[in-house]
Amino acid sequence: MPIYNSYPLVIILLLFVSAFAIPIFKSIKMARIISISAAGISFALSILTLMGVKADGAYYFRVGHFDAPWGIEFHIGIIEGLMGVLFMTVSLAVLWFSVYSIDHDLSKKKVPIFYTLVNLLVGSLLGIVFSDDLFNCFVFIEISSIASCGIVVVKDKKENIKAALKYLILSSLGSGLVLMGIALVYSLTGHLNMPHIHDVLVSIYPDHSRNMLIAIGLFTVGLGVKSAMFPLHTWLPDAHTYAPASSSALLSALVLKAYVILYIKIIHRVFGMSIVGDLPVLNIVLLLGAVGMIAGSVLAILQKNIKRMVAYSSVAQMGYVFFGIGLGTTMGLAAAIFQIFNHAFTKSALFLSAGSIIEKTGKKNIADLKGVGKEMPFTLAIFTIGGMSLVGIPLLSGFNSKWNFAVAVIEAHRVELLAVVLISSLLNALYYFPVIVNGYFGEESLEGKVYRNTERPIKELVPIFALVLGVIYFGVSGGGLLSLIEAGIPALK
Amino acid sequence: MEHLLANYYETGAIILFGVGFVTLLAHGNLIKKIIGMNIMDTAVFLFFIAKGYIAGNEAPIIRSVKSASGYVNPVPTALMLTGIVVAVSITAFALALTIRVYEKYGTVDLNEIIKMGGE
Repeated sequence: MPIYNSYPLVIILLLFVSAFAIPIFKSIKMARIISISAAGISFALSILTLMGVKADGAYYFRVGHFDAPWGIEFHIGIIEGLMGVLFMTVSLAVLWFSVYSIDHDLSKKKVPIFYTLVNLLVGSLLGIVFSDDLFNCFVFIEISSIASCGIVVVKDKKENIKAALKYLILSSLGSGLVLMGIALVYSLTGHLNMPHIHDVLVSIYPDHSRNMLIAIGLFTVGLGVKSAMFPLHTWLPDAHTYAPASSSALLSALVLKAYVILYIKIIHRVFGMSIVGDLPVLNIVLLLGAVGMIAGSVLAILQKNIKRMVAYSSVAQMGYVFFGIGLGTTMGLAAAIFQIFNHAFTKSALFLSAGSIIEKTGKKNIADLKGVGKEMPFTLAIFTIGGMSLVGIPLLSGFNSKWNFAVAVIEAHRVELLAVVLISSLLNALYYFPVIVNGYFGEESLEGKVYRNTERPIKELVPIFALVLGVIYFGVSGGGLLSLIEAGIPALK
Repeated sequence: MEHLLANYYETGAIILFGVGFVTLLAHGNLIKKIIGMNIMDTAVFLFFIAKGYIAGNEAPIIRSVKSASGYVNPVPTALMLTGIVVAVSITAFALALTIRVYEKYGTVDLNEIIKMGGE
């Protein structure tokens, strides 16, 4: 067994152990050192894992040294490896940025708690991605629910407590539904290990199709609540708006994604397309995704608060992911996973830059932010690149993502859905461009503004530049990532 | 109907699940919401444990050498122990947040809190 096989477990353990080591020291500096070094080591290990998987193919890792039906296993393929790298890259950048910004939002006592929660959160999200055992996934889901509510409520304001409670109630509703789904699947098969469940389910399929429909419906709604599938997104705007900028970036870039990955694994690994293709579930997911793409953008246009606008845009972008899953084709799935990458990099850059603007100018409303481009030219430049990526300007990752969706739609012979992709892109332009244009141009709005008056020092913008670099990299050479994803999809099934 | 009566554990669990689900969604009072959440979780525990129970068999504590068929399935019980721990921690967290909400807003009714609006 090559040594890299144990790295995923090491990553999760390292993040958990470091999370609980932070409160011991009671110093903000130590908290930062521990948290960031744990994330840095995990980042290096995740890259090594991905390289190993790329060379040798997917593998199973027995966590407790028991064989599959009894022991818990991790399944690491290229997709899981890629997700590990993505999660660690984004969380490393966000942790780095939080060093400069989190003091602004939190009292001194709360800062170490923030780092504890972030490490716990990222560890549990990676657990969801890596684990091949449904009940183990459920436990990780619950850890991540508590931790993600924690990083919202760590800022001790009225609105934060309200938002976190709303989030906690809806996400425990979601996990209740997921647990019921697991109970149904367990009662049908007697297994919790995904490939074993799959084998049994396929052999008993036609006799128990109704049970399976209910189970997969429970998984869809449960994980849909948690990953903000359109009509179930009501908790998202509050939680993402009021949370500190670093938390919002993590919540929308990573937390939503882990549940989607679990959903993909449930569809493809647990049930398999031979069963799911027979049931109407994917069409409903496709419909909800398409409605979400449009409705999320329309709701974003109506918002006055810049962070709230970016939060609603997440609903639209998650709509794309569900749209790709709902197509049910390999290309659709690849496009959805590519969109996960695109959205994680873009949205975390957007949230961090919008958070910086609010922090430095003290203004939240889009109408008050006219001329901010003169005061904070670099921050707004980052926001511009992020916004343009989501609109779908070429050479940015959003364009490649939309291109993939267009190809997937045409390959699936559902050309009428192309209209949804195009309309949604146009709607994205309607809310990102006004902020950008009013920020940089207009005699009136620029009057009385001092150049780089409220700009952050360049040093503090480096982590966001790193994320933007990802956006540009996947925009210029998205083909490499896409072919890697396509190579990884067979191992997912 | 016969099926429902024959599987009365499961029927009961699903009815409880529905009760909890509706309580969680329909009530504005946060305490009632948390109670609903607990009923929902308990329903799943009941469902799981009922699935592991084999009538006439003993609890899986090995005292004498007996074949495995003499015991009930221990896996669901073990899983639900974890489930209970998770449910307890979520409940504790939710209750703590409810106390904070009451301190800040002076009410535990979510509808009233939403009416007050933010900022």
